[in-house]
Amino acid sequence: MEVKLLTEHYHRPEYRKLSGYKLYGGYQVLAKALQMEPKTIIEEVKASGLRGRGGAGFPTGMKWGFLPSNHEPRYLLCNADEGEPGTFKDRLMMEKAPHQLIEGMIISAYAIGSQKSYIYVRGEYFDSIRILREALAEAYKAGLLGKKILGSNFSHDMDVYSGAGAYICGEETGMISSLEGLKGQPKLKPPFPALQGYLKKPTIVNNVETLAAVVPIVRDGAKVYRQNGTEKSPGTKLFSVSGNVVRPGNYEVPLGLPLKELIFGICGGLKPGRKLKAVIPGGSSAPVLTAEEALRAHLDYESLAQMGTMLGSGAVIVIDDSHCMVDLLGVIAHFYHHESCGQCTPCREGTGWIDKILHSILSGQGRLQDIHLLERVSEHMMGKTICALSDAAAMPVLSFVNKFREEFEFYVREGRSKVRGVSHAQM
Amino acid sequence: MPKCKINGKEVDVPQGTTIIEAFKASGQEIAHYCWHPGLSVAGVCRLCMVQIEGQPKLQIACNTEVKEGMVINNNSETVKDTVRWGLDFHLINHPLDCPICDQAGECGLQEQYMQFGKYDPEMAEHKVKKCKVVDLGPTVVLDSERCILCSRCVRFTDEVSKTHELGIFERGDRSEIGTFDGKPLNNKYSLNTVDICPVGALTSKDFRFRQRVWYLKEHNTICTGCSTGCNVKVYYNEEGCWRVKPRYNPDINGYWMCDEGRDIYKFINKKNRLQEITMTEKGVSKVFQAEELLPQLGLELKNAVQKNPESVALILTGQYSCEEYQSLLNLMVKSWGLKNVFHWVNHPESMEQFDGLLLRGDKNPNTKGLLNELDLLSLTQTWKDLEEKLHRNLIKHLIVAGPENLATFSDVKEKLKLFSSANKLIWLSAGIFEGVSSVCSQVVQIPTKTFFEKEGSYINHKGMKQRVTPGVEIVKSALSLCEFVEGLHHDNKGAHFQDMDSALVDTKLKEPLKENFFTATRGSL
Amino acid sequence: MAEANIQNKNNLFQLSPEGKEFVQGELSRYENKYSAIIPCLYRCQKENQGWVSPACIRYLSQIMEIPEAHIWEVAKFYTMFNKEPVGRLHIQVCCNISCALNGGRELADHLCQTYSLNAGEVSSDGMLTISRVECLGSCGTAPMMQINESYHENLNPEKAEQIINELRAKYGS
Repeated sequence: MEVKLLTEHYHRPEYRKLSGYKLYGGYQVLAKALQMEPKTIIEEVKASGLRGRGGAGFPTGMKWGFLPSNHEPRYLLCNADEGEPGTFKDRLMMEKAPHQLIEGMIISAYAIGSQKSYIYVRGEYFDSIRILREALAEAYKAGLLGKKILGSNFSHDMDVYSGAGAYICGEETGMISSLEGLKGQPKLKPPFPALQGYLKKPTIVNNVETLAAVVPIVRDGAKVYRQNGTEKSPGTKLFSVSGNVVRPGNYEVPLGLPLKELIFGICGGLKPGRKLKAVIPGGSSAPVLTAEEALRAHLDYESLAQMGTMLGSGAVIVIDDSHCMVDLLGVIAHFYHHESCGQCTPCREGTGWIDKILHSILSGQGRLQDIHLLERVSEHMMGKTICALSDAAAMPVLSFVNKFREEFEFYVREGRSKVRGVSHAQM
Repeated sequence: MPKCKINGKEVDVPQGTTIIEAFKASGQEIAHYCWHPGLSVAGVCRLCMVQIEGQPKLQIACNTEVKEGMVINNNSETVKDTVRWGLDFHLINHPLDCPICDQAGECGLQEQYMQFGKYDPEMAEHKVKKCKVVDLGPTVVLDSERCILCSRCVRFTDEVSKTHELGIFERGDRSEIGTFDGKPLNNKYSLNTVDICPVGALTSKDFRFRQRVWYLKEHNTICTGCSTGCNVKVYYNEEGCWRVKPRYNPDINGYWMCDEGRDIYKFINKKNRLQEITMTEKGVSKVFQAEELLPQLGLELKNAVQKNPESVALILTGQYSCEEYQSLLNLMVKSWGLKNVFHWVNHPESMEQFDGLLLRGDKNPNTKGLLNELDLLSLTQTWKDLEEKLHRNLIKHLIVAGPENLATFSDVKEKLKLFSSANKLIWLSAGIFEGVSSVCSQVVQIPTKTFFEKEGSYINHKGMKQRVTPGVEIVKSALSLCEFVEGLHHDNKGAHFQDMDSALVDTKLKEPLKENFFTATRGSL
Repeated sequence: MAEANIQNKNNLFQLSPEGKEFVQGELSRYENKYSAIIPCLYRCQKENQGWVSPACIRYLSQIMEIPEAHIWEVAKFYTMFNKEPVGRLHIQVCCNISCALNGGRELADHLCQTYSLNAGEVSSDGMLTISRVECLGSCGTAPMMQINESYHENLNPEKAEQIINELRAKYGS
């Protein structure tokens, strides 16, 4: 069942405007927050158990706690560089409820003592950028941003920054590099952004959904927020469902919901005559689940981790039995090859190597040892680089090959797809 | 001073030391490409992986500080396997064209692969094609396929030369080093990028395809191109000298040297050198052996000085060693009583210039040493005084310890014109300058040894005294000023002169002196 | 149009007075001026018929006082900066996983065939370029394409053609 904590009013066109947003309680939470001690807000967020909604699932309150306790200027960056294939929830949030994000950001900025924030939006989201800019202008005009917000002593400036087409900018230090006017290449850690981030100043990077979720947490308190979800994965989460389901789209559900319910209940199941073959539960980098695994999976951080995969950004990609897993892995591998920033050797070379091996297999030119080679190359790409893109590229390979090995072996042996009957080259 | 254990060995390092520095300090081997002690940490080659007890993931040694009590190793199977694969990732798109690559023999890929490699390449796909033989600028050629994208050269132009010509363009395995739209890599330090390139991607136009490096020997010395006195290595073989590279000295040049300094090997090669002692009179030149000419010349000069001190003048350039100045001044000033000593400054207008990094306007290695010696003997005559005396025809004998490196003296022709009012010119120089023999009615030309062939010390701009030792003999009849002096005042004692010669080129030599095979045909200065 | 674009390749480039003002504004907008590079590249692309030429880089380097190599690095890193001329309608068809599951790749092939273009090529009238691109964040409405700044979702070959033809007629006139 859906629980619309964040998305309750998304169907209302007026919600996008300040006046409309205010009709449904907009910015009342900010007013409340400005009466609170910043520390209390951080404690509330910690108590809520809110975890980063961008992919890593790191506890938000704890992340804020890494900031130095001095009065050094610090930045809040909203990561709206939604790029993980299969994910489209942040776009929805920015386009339907820009003020919800802005409100969440002002509250968060107040909590961490930041005077300046940026929303880094992927460049392709022209509409989101336009809508956010309009919303920011409204907020400034209404005294919700700028000097002495709502008559308090808190001042804050916010700006929207457009990316320009690079998946890697969704990685927080890649995003910081990009915002600094560099290539969007991730930075070495340490130092971590909380101590030295944007322009070497303490910086917090949070996902759109994370920052928006701060609004109901501060409004209702951590206890109420925890009424949804599980003990370790509290609250609701937006899931972007795509692929072979009848009703793809974004759905806000409590964490811990059975994946089966999302696919077959909320999304209306698969198209007639089609059988579930596999599900990628957390964006293209998450290890794939077989149909059997998917049917017993629950959508929370822990249980998916236990199954060897991850919740990631909440992008559920549903694959039916008309698709060839070798072909789909080829699509995914091509993507990571295209997006590797090129800094770290194992990722730069490994993504290309994997893409080429898969291309050979898909052209009917594969060798039997290539399957094992795919695994070994992937294994040696994991945990060896500055950021997690290398792992993101390797994990799908390992899971696809491991779980659908006979399809790969058939392809290599016969030079054609077991599902489609012909090779990719012949299609 | 945190203590740590590296591969079982206790190591003490200063606070803030990175693990890779601790490895180097304790003499242990660690694979790496992108790390360079003179540049910022990039952390991208991912080869310097180490295992730290208590940490689940391997860490890169270049970006991890040593903390008290750390137990570090890079000899576990996990690390070794990671490094083996790390090297393979570097090599899958590398052309493996070692037989035609100039870097072969001093290539980081070759060396580290031999030491740490996997030895069973599994790459069966087509390699990425990239630009080859890219003319990056006046000094450097790029082969992008060989490049392993360590970013050292880019960091160099960003952080050291601050000229920002280089960049890494595109991303993933399409990434390529280059300049923007064919704009040249053109700065006074460009060849350092070749030195720090761990592979054969950047090669020096001057050196490429000339010699295989394993046939070259190296000799540690200093650069005499200007008053900075960068520490360098000169690479040579029996055919000549081939290139100069910087040698680390934290107090003088760090890891770098300028491109100009790299040309100093050219003037020391035989082709560009004065070969014989000659005396020219009325258009007729005669070759002499040192021992037959110098004693009588010494007598002649001594008599001239003692008869009329104003009739003899000694002109010194800042090109020689302290010991040579001392020796010459001891004889002529202290012993003979010469008063006329002058300092020939080649670039008076730019003497004080400095580019902020290494290059100085004073194109002499030992101006400071010379000034010290002149000062000690209270020799204060100016160049103006010399000009006046020459114009008044007071000076009959002129001894000039001229340029060793003619390339840095743009005023030789003009100066020779000035010298022409003397009757006899004794011209000491390493190089050949057209027309010297006809400047005065009698001209004695004496080939001098260069810094590469003699022992001595030079005082750089900030007063640091550096000693050089001889590499090999290049011009058999060339003399150091000390040898010249010995020759002058040992009346008719050729035998003694010979002894002195072998005594000076003494046992400090690493390599025994070789037969003179220097017939290099490198580009002219 | 295409010819004009190609001729432009080596020519000098200059922003309009409004463009120059924009650059000055961006230079002081952020904490460090390098942050202005991406917005200024967008501006140049807009004023240079949809692509960033070396002349644009030279120009920006001059007015922003940032080394050319650095601006070029940035331009080359991000896919939204076209380093070659593109058609007035830049049709980008998503071929990533969710679209691939719903015929995105077939759609791209179909469009290339229909308009007799290779991916990335500019049509002879300078109107069209069709590119296969990675995920555009429109996975629930696959297959989809982006034409210039707009998303077109829930496509099938007929619908896509119709949209392109309409836009082509509109832009062509």
